[in-house]
Order: sequence, then structure tokens, then C-alpha cells
Amino acid sequence: MQVRLNDITKAFGSLKALDRVSLQIERGEFFTLLGPSGCGKTTLLRVIAGFASPDSGNVFFGDQLINHIPPYKRETGMVFQNYALFPQLNVFDNVAYGLRARRVEREKIRSRVHQILEKVQLENLAQRYPNQLSGGQQQRVALARALVIEPRVLLMDEPLSNLDARLRVTMRQEIRKIQKDLGITTIYVTHDQEEAMAISDRIAIFNLGHIQQVGMPSDIYFRPQNRFVAEFTGTSNIMEVEVVAYDPHNSILTSRFKGHQILLRSASKPTGKTVMILLRPEWIKIARDEKESLTNLFSGQVVSSTFMGFMVKYQVKAFEDQMFALEVQDPQEHEIKKERETLYFQFNIDRPVVITS
Amino acid sequence: MHKYFTVWTLILVSIFVILFLFVLYPMFSIFYASFLSPETGQSSLESYRKIFSLPFYLRCLRNSLWVSALATAISLIIGVPFAFFTSRFHLPGKSLIKTLATLPLILPTFIGAEAWILLLGRNGWFTNLFKQIGIGLPSIYGWQGIVLVFSLHFFPFVFLMVSASINAIDKSLEESAQNLGAHPRQVFTTVTLPIVTPSIVAGALVVFYMSIENFGVPQLIGEDYRVLAVQAYNEFISEMGGNPSMAGALSMVLIIITLLVTLIQKYWVERKSYSMSSLRPPEVRKAKPFFTFCMWFFCIFILFLALFPFLVVLISSVTKTQGPVMYFGEFSLKNLTQAIRIAPRPIFNSFFLSTVATLIGIVFGLAVSYLVVRKKGAVTYLLDLLMILPLIIAGTVLGIALAATYNKGRIVLTGTWMILVLAYFIRKVPFSIKTTSSILQQIDASVEEASINLGVPPVRSFLKVVVPVMLPGIAAGAIIMWVTTLAELSSTIILYYGPWSTMTIQIFQYVGSGDFGPASAYGTILILSVLIPLFFLHRFLGKGMTPTL
Repeated sequence: MQVRLNDITKAFGSLKALDRVSLQIERGEFFTLLGPSGCGKTTLLRVIAGFASPDSGNVFFGDQLINHIPPYKRETGMVFQNYALFPQLNVFDNVAYGLRARRVEREKIRSRVHQILEKVQLENLAQRYPNQLSGGQQQRVALARALVIEPRVLLMDEPLSNLDARLRVTMRQEIRKIQKDLGITTIYVTHDQEEAMAISDRIAIFNLGHIQQVGMPSDIYFRPQNRFVAEFTGTSNIMEVEVVAYDPHNSILTSRFKGHQILLRSASKPTGKTVMILLRPEWIKIARDEKESLTNLFSGQVVSSTFMGFMVKYQVKAFEDQMFALEVQDPQEHEIKKERETLYFQFNIDRPVVITS
Repeated sequence: MHKYFTVWTLILVSIFVILFLFVLYPMFSIFYASFLSPETGQSSLESYRKIFSLPFYLRCLRNSLWVSALATAISLIIGVPFAFFTSRFHLPGKSLIKTLATLPLILPTFIGAEAWILLLGRNGWFTNLFKQIGIGLPSIYGWQGIVLVFSLHFFPFVFLMVSASINAIDKSLEESAQNLGAHPRQVFTTVTLPIVTPSIVAGALVVFYMSIENFGVPQLIGEDYRVLAVQAYNEFISEMGGNPSMAGALSMVLIIITLLVTLIQKYWVERKSYSMSSLRPPEVRKAKPFFTFCMWFFCIFILFLALFPFLVVLISSVTKTQGPVMYFGEFSLKNLTQAIRIAPRPIFNSFFLSTVATLIGIVFGLAVSYLVVRKKGAVTYLLDLLMILPLIIAGTVLGIALAATYNKGRIVLTGTWMILVLAYFIRKVPFSIKTTSSILQQIDASVEEASINLGVPPVRSFLKVVVPVMLPGIAAGAIIMWVTTLAELSSTIILYYGPWSTMTIQIFQYVGSGDFGPASAYGTILILSVLIPLFFLHRFLGKGMTPTL
């Protein structure tokens, strides 16, 4: 089921939780609303579920306008942050709840509940009560309960935030697999950028009630449109550089930062005198002693060096006072630098991304 | 707006209508009546002038304040050590001691008064015993008796509140004080005591409030020692037609005092209280045998004083009597059989009225708590504020207000059983609201939303997934409502009429006429009707009872 949101606005008192938000979520898509707490993402999910009514704007499921349909008739399946399992009902009855509300025949309920419990690998625990289950198991019950009614849209509100880090990773893979198997349109809310990128077809980044950017995870990570998106999706080195020259044939921009020349690829000539550029830590390499090329080669002093096994994280002070984060994979390639040592680093002219503030 | 909200809106409107009709409007009418001159019917401040100038009324006011203050002080002297001893030290039979210590709260106070008259009254058991050996005991009548009964009944409030706060102090708090170099005595005065103080004040306020609004005890044991609640009653049903203006004015004075107490409680004490997430409960220590014995003896002695009178009532009910004369030691079932077989109507009335009032109270309380907890907004905040009213209106005052308002006009309720149910329901509904709303706060709103999301409409979702979880709490609230309604005297005495007399009225009248046999028979039935449900409550719902009070 395609979901369309047109100019949704919702205010709580003077606080605008959603400000003219428009989105189109395609059939079968896994779509994630990502943003810091209080950005409006949960409010948007509740608007779709019908628990919050927008001050203005329209919500469509397919071609049907559903603004005035009460939440219990919207046929959405919602998974809540705290699972919201009914404590007085066992797993089977929790899952069967929505089917009973729809007056499905007893035999059908039995078979559908067992089928879905098998899908979430809980068929042995049907008689357990929620308080006898682990967090991950409760999570699966909540998912099964939402899926068994074959909802038009699956809504998930930070479903993994109460699980430990390891379980979060396994559960998200499982959720993604089940979603793909069933081909169900899913709208997922999270504040965890890594989780969002790992699980989604597309992501919408929210801040202060506005959508900042919508796109595939790789788009958002590699080509963030603004500083907020860049910083929210990963570690960011951001510099404001002066525009010196632009070569339209090769699309190369020559810029200057604190007296040093930086070359980068840019599709068009920047309009202003300065531009903001982003460099992700892993885009920066430690320069070998041979120094094959002098392009975008700089030096800095190591401020901190953190060994993490699969990589080394450096904080480097370069260009007088600019702090840079560097991540070096395969640490054995290079000698691991210590604090106060000098480190040469270099990056490809294709890497820096021009962003707006 | 969705259809979703209209059902609860309808419920909200009905709640306001009920509150307006049976609380606000009656209170307003006695307020209005208090400003009318009893002679001319013109508006005047005459009644208030009388209260604050005539020595007789001034004495009522002073008496009320004096007995309440004294009872509060004694309750603190008993309750605070009781709480410390039972929370911090190993004492033999401690859990039984703690359970028994909550009983006086629920046992009817006027039966306590009756029992002390049986023991120390003019013809009392002890009085006669000591008279034989030539010792004259001091009189129980007057303020001494009132204060005695109040203190022994109400000290558990202090005990419970202080215990709860002592047990909520994290052990590491006291340990860190010691670690910083404080001597154990210093730890007590600089850490433990300041944390417990708000709950001591809270307990004191409750005792003061319960004392000043009490009608039965001063009426039975006070004799000529008049207090406000008793005098308001006397003015209202005086043989000479009554003086609604004076009764109204006295009620207003009483309300202002109870309102003050409640406001201090709500806005000062609740703000002062420290909430902490106690991870490590405080240590329970073993004192030296001598101190253990002293503490144990103190607790047992207090419990004996508080509960022995009820034993006396039980014994009296199976003792041969002739008017005021009791033949202790001579067994007879005459009083009990008379009460159960010949005059069972008051027993039936008490049960019937309490049950109806409780059922209404459960539904009403559930609706109010749901609205206040889940549908936060200006209107429900107002509702929350209005629900303070039943707490500040003394039983006598509510009785007077309802009787005066609904004795004529479009709705006539005075002289029906409905008005008793109404009064009971309004008086006791705070119990139901308190229990249900505290559980509701613990149930996350998303549980209901999950049910709505799965296709069940809002009110049905509430009934299907929230109410079942709340059942133990609802049951606890209902039992407390039911047993305290059974023991309700102050509003009943004003609102009942002939065929709808209750057990409490019977006891009250028999004690008044000196017939202690039948009084004790009804008293016994009442005590058992209160204790048996409480026993089951305690047995099956564990500690469900204590937080309710």
C-alpha cells in the first residue's frame, strides 16, 4: 500500500512538531524516519496510525483519504517502543487479539497465529505470558501481533531501542528479512543512524519538524545536503573553504583553506565566495612515505589515538587549529601513531562533498 | 475531531453533572443559607457574628481545635517510634505487629468510644472493679475520652506514612554520610530525620483532619464537651425546627479548617517529599536484647490499648445484659439472636447501601481516574481539583448540605435510601480514585493504543485490556470503600429515616440509651463484616490494603 502525506502540520501549543511535511512511501518499501529525539518523527508515525490528528494536511493510503478514519479502522499494524503487550494474555492470545477483534473464525485464528509465530520463531512459547519472556522475545511477539492482521502498513516506533546492542543487530536483520518476505510497506522510526542505514530502502531525516533530506541510505551518507544531515549520519570533518578557481572542463574546484590549497570535484561553479565541504573520517588516508602525489596532502599533530582492533581512530590537529577525525582500517598497514607525533594524510579529489549550512 | 473522543467527552460531562448536582450545588446552598438571618430571612452575617462572639460557639471551635491538636500530638508520639522500631529493628512477631497496627484505621471509631465507655464509663467494668478496691478512676467523659479514642485510632496513619518513607531511604545514603565522617547519631539527625520529616507532617495533618471531622466519638463520649461537628448536627436537627443558617455557618467554619489542612497537604507536603529510587533497602538491625524487649513491649502495649476495646465489644455481645448492667462472665446469645433474627433490617440496610454505593463508586472512580491520568487537559485538571471536595467535606456537613438541598423542589431525595447511597458514594469515592489512578499511572498508554491499533474501539479497548490489569487494585479499592461505608455514621445520622436505619445508627442509639447489650451485638456484626473482607484482601492481594489508606 502506498502512503502519501501532504503538507502535514501539527503543533503542540507553540511547539511545531511537524511543519508542512510531505512524503510519498511506495508499496512494499521499507521507509525509515530518522532524527534526534523531539524532531517530530514519532508524531508523524502517530498521525499515520491515527493517534494524533494533524492540524492541517492529508494522509492517503493508496488513493483513499484517511484523515477521518479512527485508528481502530485504519488497518495499520503498530509495534510500540515498549512493545505494549497485554500482560494478562499469553503469547497466543496477544497475537490472536486483533483477529478476534475482526471476528475471524476460531480455526483460522489458530492456524494464522501459529503460522506467524513460526515466522518469528516463537512457536514453542505460545503459552507463555509476557513477563516470562526476554526482551527479544517480547519484541517478536509485538511484531507477530502487528503482522498477523495483515495490515496495510506496518508501523514501528523505535522497536529495538530497549534491546542490548548485540540483539539489536540480529533483530534488525530478522525484521528486514520478514518484511521482504511479506512485501509489506513499512514505516520505521529510529534515532539510530546506523540502524536506519542497515535496514532501510529509503530514509527521511527529520529535524525540528522539518524533513531535511529523503533518499537511499548511500545517498544520504555520501551526499548529505546540509550540515545537519552530514553530522547526524556519521562523523564529519567540515571546513569552510574559499573558492579560488573553477575548471568547468574537468569539474574541478580549486579552493583555499588557511593558506593551503584543496582540490575537489564539483558539478557546478559555486555561487558564493566560500563553500562548506565535508570529509568523512574514512575518506582520509594516511599518506605513505613515498608521497606519490602532493595533491590534498597535509600534515597534522596527533591529539589522541584510539586502538579499536579493526581500526584506529585518530584526532589530528591540522591547519593550525582545525580538528580532524581519521579512521584507519587495517591498522597493521601503517605504524600506529602516538600522541604528539606528526601524521601525513591525504584524500582523493572525488571525496569532499559540498554541503549547505 | 474524531468520534474517538466523543465517548469520553460524554462521560466527562456526566461526571461534572453529578459533581455539580450532588456536591457543588448542595455546598453552595448551605453556604448561601449561612448568610441568611434565621429570624427575618434577610441576608446577614448574624450567624458568623454569633460563632465568633458568643462564648458557647467560641468554646465549640476551641474544643475542636484542642482535641484535634492533642490527638495529633499523641499520635505522633506513638506513631513515629512505632514506625522506626518496626522498620529498623528485628522484633519478634514483627509482621503480625505491622498488620495488626493497621486495623484501628478501619475499625469504626464510635465503636472504640463505646468500648471505652464499657470499660471506664460510669458503670464500666474497670470503674466498678477499681471502685470495689476503693480507687476512683478519672472520668472518661469529655475531652480526655475523645483524645484517647482518636489517638489510638489514628496513630496508624503516622505509623504507615513514616514507615513508608523510612523504608524508601536508600542504604547508600546513610552509608555515604558515615563515610563522610558522621557519627551514627549525626547521621540520624542530619540525613534520616530530615528525609522522614515531610511524611511525619503528612501523617500529622491526616490525624488532625480525621479528628476534627469526626462526629461519633465526641457525640458519644464527649457528653457536654461540644465540638463543631456535633454542634452543626445539633443546630440542624434541633427539636425546635432547626437553624439552617447556624448549621451552615458552623459547616463553613469546619470546611475552612479542613480545606486549610488539605491545601497544606497537597501543596506543601507533597512538594517537600523526596522521591527516590531505592535500590538497596535500609538495613534492619538486631538491637541488644533489653532494647529489643523495650521496643517490642512498647508496640505490643499500644496494640493492646488500641485493639482490646474491640475484644470487649465482642465479649459484651455474648454477655448477659439488662439495660446498662452487664453481667460479665455470664454467657448469653440473646443480644446476637435478637439482632440477627428479630431486627435484621439494619444489617440488611447497611449491606445493601454499602454495596450500591461501592458499585457506583467503582465505575465513577474508574472513569475519573482514566480521564485525569490519560486525557490530560484544562478540563480534566479542573476535575482533579474538584475531587478534593469530597475529602474536605466532613460527613456531618455533607449530610446537612444534601438534606437541606433535596428536601423540597424538583428533586426530592430526603427521606429516601438514595440520598444515603449518594452521600456514601461521594464520601468514599476518593478511595476508589486513589487506587485506580495509581495503577493506571503504571500502565503505559501504549497498551491501550496497541489494542485500538488492532481494531478495537477506544472504550472497548479500555475494558478489554486495561481493566483486567487493574482488577486487583479495583478490588482492593472496592473492599476499602465497602468496609468504611459500613462504618459510616456522621452523614447517616442526618440522612437516614425510620425503615432505612443502619447498624451504625442502631449502635449509636443503643449506646445513647445505655443499652450496651444490643449495641455490642450490632457492633460485633459490624466488626466482623469489616474484618472478614479485609482478611481476604490481605490474604489474596498481599499488601494491596496499606497503600489505599
